[in-house]
Formats: sequence, structure tokens, C-alpha cells
Amino acid sequence: MRAAIEAARAGLNVAVVTKIYPVRSHSVAAQGGINAALKETDSWEAHMFDTIKGSDYLGDQDAIEALCKEAPSDIMELERMGAIFSRDAHGHIAQRPFGGAGYPRTCYLADRTGHSLLHVMFEQLMKHGIYVYDEWHVVKLVAEDNISKGVIAIELSTGKLHRLHSKATIIATGGYGRVYKTTTNALSSTGDGMALALNAGVDLMDMEFVQFHPTVLPRTGILMTEGARGEGGFLLNSKGERFMEKYAPKVKELASRDVVSRAEQTEIEEGRGVNGCVLLDLRHLGAKKINERLSQIKDLAINFSGVNPIEEPVPVKPGAHYSMGGIATDNDGGTKVTGLFAAGEAACVSVHGANRLGGNSLLETIVFGRRAGLKAAQFCKDAKLYPFPDRFLKDASQEVAVIYERENGESIFKIRNEMNDAMEAHCGIFRDRDRLTKGYDKIKELKERFKKVSLTDKNDNYNNELLHIFEVGQMLDISEAILVGAINRQESRGSHYRRDFPKRDDENWLKHTLIYKDGEEFKIRYRDVRVTKFKPEERKY
Amino acid sequence: MKIKFNIRRFNPDDSKLNEPYFQAYDVEVTEGMTVLEALLKINEEQDPTLAFRKSCRSAICGSCAMKVNGFSKLTCSLQVIPEYKKKGRMVIEPLANHKQVKDLVVDLNPFWKKIEKVTPYLTPMDKEHEERSVSEEDEKTIDQSQRCIMCGCCNSECNALEIDSKFIAPAALAKAWRFVGDVREGDKKKRLERLSEEHGMWDCVRCIHCTQYCPKDVAPLKQIEMLRSSAMKAGILDNPGAKHVEAMADSVRRVGRLDEAAMTFKTLGFLRSIGMIPFGLKMELHGKMPLPILFPKIEKIEEVKKIYEEAAKQGTEQEKKKEE
Amino acid sequence: MADKLRYAYYPGCASQEITKEANVTTRLVARKLGIELHDMPKASCCGAGLLTDYDYQLYIAINARIFAEAEQMGMDIMTICSTCLMVMRTANYNLKTSPELLAKTNEILATVGLHYRGTVEVKQLLWVLAGEYGLNNLKKKVVKPLDWMKIAPFYGCHSLRPSNALGFDDPEMPQSLDKVIEALGAQPVDYSGKTKCCGFQVDLVAVETAEVMTATRLLDGKKHGANCFVTPCPFCHINLDNYQNLAEKQVEKKIEMPVFHLSQLVGLALGLTPQDIGLSRHLVSPSRILR
Repeated sequence: MRAAIEAARAGLNVAVVTKIYPVRSHSVAAQGGINAALKETDSWEAHMFDTIKGSDYLGDQDAIEALCKEAPSDIMELERMGAIFSRDAHGHIAQRPFGGAGYPRTCYLADRTGHSLLHVMFEQLMKHGIYVYDEWHVVKLVAEDNISKGVIAIELSTGKLHRLHSKATIIATGGYGRVYKTTTNALSSTGDGMALALNAGVDLMDMEFVQFHPTVLPRTGILMTEGARGEGGFLLNSKGERFMEKYAPKVKELASRDVVSRAEQTEIEEGRGVNGCVLLDLRHLGAKKINERLSQIKDLAINFSGVNPIEEPVPVKPGAHYSMGGIATDNDGGTKVTGLFAAGEAACVSVHGANRLGGNSLLETIVFGRRAGLKAAQFCKDAKLYPFPDRFLKDASQEVAVIYERENGESIFKIRNEMNDAMEAHCGIFRDRDRLTKGYDKIKELKERFKKVSLTDKNDNYNNELLHIFEVGQMLDISEAILVGAINRQESRGSHYRRDFPKRDDENWLKHTLIYKDGEEFKIRYRDVRVTKFKPEERKY
Repeated sequence: MKIKFNIRRFNPDDSKLNEPYFQAYDVEVTEGMTVLEALLKINEEQDPTLAFRKSCRSAICGSCAMKVNGFSKLTCSLQVIPEYKKKGRMVIEPLANHKQVKDLVVDLNPFWKKIEKVTPYLTPMDKEHEERSVSEEDEKTIDQSQRCIMCGCCNSECNALEIDSKFIAPAALAKAWRFVGDVREGDKKKRLERLSEEHGMWDCVRCIHCTQYCPKDVAPLKQIEMLRSSAMKAGILDNPGAKHVEAMADSVRRVGRLDEAAMTFKTLGFLRSIGMIPFGLKMELHGKMPLPILFPKIEKIEEVKKIYEEAAKQGTEQEKKKEE
Repeated sequence: MADKLRYAYYPGCASQEITKEANVTTRLVARKLGIELHDMPKASCCGAGLLTDYDYQLYIAINARIFAEAEQMGMDIMTICSTCLMVMRTANYNLKTSPELLAKTNEILATVGLHYRGTVEVKQLLWVLAGEYGLNNLKKKVVKPLDWMKIAPFYGCHSLRPSNALGFDDPEMPQSLDKVIEALGAQPVDYSGKTKCCGFQVDLVAVETAEVMTATRLLDGKKHGANCFVTPCPFCHINLDNYQNLAEKQVEKKIEMPVFHLSQLVGLALGLTPQDIGLSRHLVSPSRILR
């Protein structure tokens, strides 16, 4: 939406295509905040350093520089748009400490920051009169000769396929958390745009880097914000020890997410867990602070785990949370295909490298959303509108018809569940060649079986089963990309931890994984990391 | 435990069955399972054709609001077992006051149109590009209204909307307060004037369903009350709603009681009050027509008058403090 | 009952004028049941919700003045109006849960030499009957069971919501009025409109909405087999009874549904006559369903 707003401001005729209503997008669930060096005692360079260190030096430093330098003015712009932030005693935007950051620079609205910002984006969307194709799901990016010509989308309320013809297309479809079984992500976070881009000939970058958030409710995977630790929450094991003292003596619970998640997993696997969880203890913060700053967290814990954090510690465990990888773009969202852009979690610029810091994802959507929108607008001024090739719509109709006609095939839900289990078991926090290969074989098997799924629901209108077939097909491609990247990266860096290669290896692996499709085959190549200001060094918290 | 779910279904595309009907599903429910999880389970294990909306499943995206046992709820944050134990049944229906388009999916276009009607974005008071300082207290006045996730529970329960589909309804009104109450907003008065028009904020019947069933504690009625008193303080009084309240406040100040006759007169104006005379005569026959002359004052009415003055004084002091 | 029930009695403005019959009947019924009602000569109007729209602090202070009077009398308040109940309980709830608000309000009260400590509870007749007085005790007093009556209980809005401030009945499945109807020997009718709005608040503002709403509720009860309505609220009564003919015209349907005040229904079962309970004041005559 940020990109759409920027493009509309530049005078472009813009439409947003979305499979759910805009305010349902999963940014709405971002709880903790958005980073920016606003204070005189802070600096964008410090923010940049923290981000690079957090990324385990895999982030491209020129991109990170843009992110951190432009953050303060973007925050101010959000404020002018009407975003509501929590305020300090002087009426200025308040900031809280966050994991992996050397300065309290996370702006927030209680534990509802994403909700506040997403609704502001929606407001601006209405202000600029941007047309929204609500509940339209894109089934194909149309690109010929490396030139983007628009998309084909299915109108969910009728099941009709439509062509949407455009000079430029920006993908902002978010992450793919639903590839995993335990995830903080929405049911709709199925990584659609990444798979569509891959199939349109675009590279996916650094897909092996999957962030596992350290504090997730068991069973449901619902997120307990990092802000809970930012406000002073402790993590305890079954013996009541603050185990993070052992893993990150200096900053303890506020180490970066990959470090905390691994520590938790180690505690759990070594028998110091509590029913497969560790405990997030907020009791010492007191009822007042919890009610004011973490009220949503309190409600979620009560509604979904039956635990009131004012009275009891909350059992939490790591869960898939964020996709560092995504569609490979330049610093303006541009991809290999002319006229095709990407921004936000769907894209990989890369500012997060091997591990993202809390508070940087909302920031990325704003900074790079704006940049992509602006760039697309500039592009459209000079670009010509190519004719929309007819065969794409015909092909898409044919593919859908085939699914409708197929009888007695397997259930899509079964395939999805097996994919979830396989990714959780074989491509989780701790990885090794053996596990990953098993996972890869399983995904390959599922891809074969996927070709034979059939529909129980033969209706056209609101056919959720059909939508899910599209989604799962896309997620299988994404799973394969993650596994291929993970098998090939023979080192441990950030969120990607190989038990068989437990050390970071800058000599051989300070480079980005690029995955592309050659026919049905996934191919791999690498690109160097752009290092400008900060030379890689050992990462300690 | 096994629980029977009765779901109100509808598929306009089905030529044999194009009337809404109930279908029952037996679902094996585990401790802590939410209604949404149960619906997903029905989808996966019994009937993939059942249509409903869902996304975040953590009570923040607003997709999955439905009527459960007669009342609008976010199904993702409502646990099955306690609800079933309390009500003895599990009836799931689409939101009310909106057209059912398929099964549990309703047409939300009117909902979004209403939101659009309140100019749902900030029109900043000053245009320069820097941070406007906002006190914690000022942030708090709009904090509740901005918690809205646009799930539609309030509009589904709204009794005024049930009767008058043109009514602006609570969701949009809560959104309106989010801007009227924002210290950074520049067009407060214009907004309040528009909200005072027909089918606007004064048409709320104060049934309190919106506040009762809001899953995010937005308390839309409270936001409506704040809109109304802001409009009155801004001098937007030339409409039946404001006149009615003014007449009421005046009556309490004068005699300590609600003087129905005087209020009718003041709210409707002379001509329309005359128009009510035939009806008034019928009331009179039954001794129902209140006669203002006979209205006795309460004891110590001077205390009430003084309280009016003091409350007004406190109000002005607060305004002054704010301006500083 | 160990102690005799005593209340500071707050009939509300409506029942001192338009629906006088409810006030008169309540006093008779209370005498028969042995409930002491003490008048509050200083009590003003609670604001009927409208004062909230005028000025929030004024609304709170005006109500605190009423509570202060009851506090001095050493009694809880009993009203026979749901709107008074909701308005007063909400004010009281806010005062009790916010020491800041209580302090600010007492500053205002101090200027007229009053102070409210926050010890008073506000109830309505329905709650007293179904709660402290007790349904069994009520049953024992019944001399003329209303066993031929099929009654639609009309709870309306303000005896149920917002439940955090009201809290006596579950707003999704209220019981009290049904139970009282049963205790009087009559049969309660179930219908979905029983917890909805009568339209009173917009009678003068959005006339059509109010009238259609009134008709919708009455027709809903009628469809489910009710031969009369009962309501604990005089405002609901005004709409359902006084304005019923206007509602009929608006929807172009005959309704002809007698509507009782709660106190009247109890009065009938306790042996009071139609004259005692002022039935002639109703616009829709209940005589044809009386025996």
C-alpha cells in the first residue's frame, strides 16, 4: 500500500489487487514497533551497524544505509499522515529497546504498531482514491521477453479470471510462514508473490534464511511480541533459570532473534523445557505496565493459552516468523524483469541478510515500499504499454479447468499438512545435510502428488478449496527453494544453522544465494554481498 | 468431545438449493480449540465447500467475525467448549445487517462505503513537515477508537442499522472520532457538521450492542457520545438530535427533571409539535399528556444549578490547559 | 429474608408523569411484598443518557449528587426504569473504578456541600425481585396465578448492556424476567427481539426508525405466540404501548398487543385490581386478555 500511495502521488493510475481486504494484511499483526534513529544521541550509522551485525554481515550495506538514513523522515511522514504513536513525557514519539539494537530506537503504539500503521496506509489509500480489487487472487504474473505486462487474477466472489494490464507491477504479498506448521503468520501468508515471480523468471534470493521468533504460543503459533522482552520480560527454563545469561551474557533476552531461538531450542532439547516450551515471565513488570503497554499480549495469552501473564509465566517456543529471503531486487525494488518490482517481506533487497532485527520489517515496508512506488512511477512515465498476450489468459483458464475436471484425486489439505510437517522436522532451527535431504525428497514427492489433487468443491463463487490449491502449489515451490538454498549453504550464519557446519565461513559464503527456475528444475547461483562501511567481524551479544 | 455445529449455509449459485438452510456437522473438539479452528477442521476433514473468511487467527485482522449462538463474535478468539457449555448449542451464522453472499461470507461493501463517508484520513491542521508533539493524554483520547479492526461486529449488532440501512453506524462513527478527537486534525468542525446530518450520529438509538460486542473494546457508543458533545460544544445545534439534548439539559437545569412536553416542543419545533396534536389528544384521554405547568421542581434545585456551573467551569479550565 | 428490604426509591422522570401508573403500582406492590421504599425528594433526573452527550463531567456529577443523597440515607437505590438503571450504574461504575474521576467529581459536589464516598449500589425492581427478594418468596405471595398468559419478556437494552457496568443478567441469555413471569404462574415466550431496542432514544430524532423498530419488536413477540408484553422500563413501555398505533401506521399492520409494566404484572398476580394498577391509562387496552 505504501508503494501504491507513492505511485498515486506521482500521478499514476494505480490499483491494488489483494486476495483479502487491505486491512486484513498480516502487517496488521506486527506488534512491537518500527525502528528509526530519531534522537540526537542516536545515529543512522549506529542503526546501520546494528542491522548489519544482526544480519550476520549478509545484508547489503548500501541498501541498509538507505534503510537507516531514510527511516527518520519516513517516520515523520507517517506521523503527518496521521499515524498514532505512543508518546514520551514531552509529547515526542516514544522509543523502546529491542533485541539486537544498541539504542532504544523502536517507535511503537503499545503492542499494536503494525495495526496502527496498516490502518494509516489504508486511510491514505482511500484519500488518494486508489482502486482496490478486493478478494482477487493473482494466479499468474504475465511477462514475455523479460518485460512485465500485468497479471491474471481470479475474482474469488465469482471464480472468474481477469486480465489486469499494466505498465508496471509491484509485488507486495508478504511472507510464506504458512510453509511451516508452527508459525506466527496469518493463514493467508502463503508467499504467493515469491512463487509467482519465480515462475515468471525472477530470482529468489537467500531463501534458506527463515526467522524463527523466540516467543510464540504453542499449538496456535500466535506471536508474543519482542516488546514483551523490550519492556523487561524474562525467559526462564524449567529450573527457573534466566538461561539467556548463559548464551548472551551482556544483553540476555534482548539478543537477536536467531540467538534467542537457538538458545530456547537447546534448552528444550536438553530437557530443561516445560512441555516443549520455555517460560516468558512478565509478572515482575506489574499489572499497570502490562495493561498499558502489552494489553494485546495479555488478551492473546488469556484467549489462546488460558494464561494471564500478570499472574503466571506464559509458555512459549520458537516459531517460523519471517522470510529474510524473497524476490531479488535492487535498492528501488526493481527485478530482473522490466516493469516488475517487489517490496516488503516478499522482496529481498537485502537489508536483513541472514537475520532480521525486530522493528526493521515495518520499516522496510515503508522505506522500500515508497522507493519501489516512486521508481515504478518514474518507469511508467517513459515506458510504453505493451499489448497483453492473449495466450496467458487462455492457459490460465485451461489450468483451472483441468483442476475442476480432475476426479478422485488427493485432498489438498493432506498435502499441505505433510508439507508443514516436513518443513518443520527437516528445515527448522537446527539443520544438517541429512535432515535437509530428507525434507527435499519429501517436497519432491509432494510436488508429484500435487499434480493429482482434485476439488470436492466444484462451485465457482468463494471456492476456498481452489484458492488453497493455488496457495499450496506456490508454497511447494517456495519449500523447494528454501531447501535447495539450505542444502547448498555449507556454513552457519544468522538464522541458518547447520549442525554439520556450525561456523560462519566468510571466505566461502559471504554471498547471496540466487535461485531460479530452468524448466521444472531449480538452479542456483551466487552473488557477492555489497560491503561498504563495516567489515565482517565475529557476532557476539 | 464431539460437538454438533449448526451452520447457516447459502449458495446463490446452487439452482436446487438457493435458499439459506442449516447444515449440521459433528466436530471432535479439543480443549482450547477456537470456533475458527473448528470451522477449518470442518473444511479439511468433512466439507471443503463451506465458505468463510479468515486470516490472522489472532484477533487483529478482523476477517472472521460471525454470529455465534445469535451474537457477533470474532470466531478466532472464541473457544468452543466454554461457549458450548454455556449455551448448550453451537449455531454459526453470517453477520447480520449485511447480505449473505455465500455461507458465512457477507457482502461488506456497504461497510467500507460507510467508512469512506467519514473522510477516514487525517487532514492536518498545519502543513509543515515536522513532528507535531502530542501529549500522552491527547493520545489517550483517541487510543480506544483507533483499536478498531473493522471486523463488522458492531454494525452487525447495531439496532439502528437493522431498521435504517442508510444509518452511518458505529464502526464509521468510531473511526470519525479517531480524527475529530485527534489534536493534529484541522477540519474538526466540518466533520462534526457532516456527522450531524440525517442518518448521522444522532440517529444512534443507544442500544449499546456495539460496545457490548466489540471484540477490541473500542466502545463505539462512547466515541459517539464524544462526537455528540464535541458537536454541541462547537455550536452545531441546528438539528433534532442536538436540540433534543439541549432541551433535556435545559429541563434538568430548570426543574431537575425531564420535561417531556417542553422537550417535544423544542426538539421538533412549533409546527411539528402542532402536527402531533391529534395524537396528543389521544394521549390526553388516557391522562398521558404531560403538562409542563404542573411539573414540580425537585428539592434543592439550586444545587443542580450550581453543579452545572461548576462542571462548565472545570471544562473551560481543561480547555485552557490544553491550549497552553 | 433475614432483614427487611429497604431502598432509596428512584422512580425516574417518566414514571412521575407519563407512566405514573408504574410508580403507583410499584408502591402498592412493594407494600404487599413488605419492601420499604423511601422517597428521595432531592433527586434530580439522571440525564437519561442525553446528558452524556451534553457534557460528560456534568452527567457524572449530577448522578453523584443522587448517589450522595442515597448514601446519606444509608440505602441502595431502587429504580423502576432501565434507562435510569443503565445511566446511574454506568456513572457509578466509572466513579468506583476511577479514583481520579471520583476526586474530580467530589470537587464539584463540594461546592454544594456534598460528598460521595462510592458506597451505593443501584438496582431496579426486576433485579430486586429476581435477586434479593427471591423468586420463591415472590411465588409464595401469588394469589392469582397468571396461568393463562403467554408473555413476551421485553428486556430492552438498558437492563442488560453494557454488562461490565450492569452485570445482573447475561446479556446473551437473560433469565430474570422470564423467571419472574414463571414465578407469577405465566408462560414466558422466547423470541430474538427480547434483548433489542424499542427505539425510544430516537423517537423525536429519527421518527421512522423508532416506529419501525417498535413495530418489529412487537410483531416478533406476536409471531412467537405472545398475547402480551411485559417490560421493566417505562421508556420501552411508552414506545411499545403509547406509540403502538403510530408504529402500526408506519408498517401498515395491525398489532394490538397489550404491554404491561413489570410492576403491573406482579400486582395482578398479588391480587391488585386493574383499577389499582392504572390499566385504563394504557393506549392499547389489556382488558381483553384479563380474567
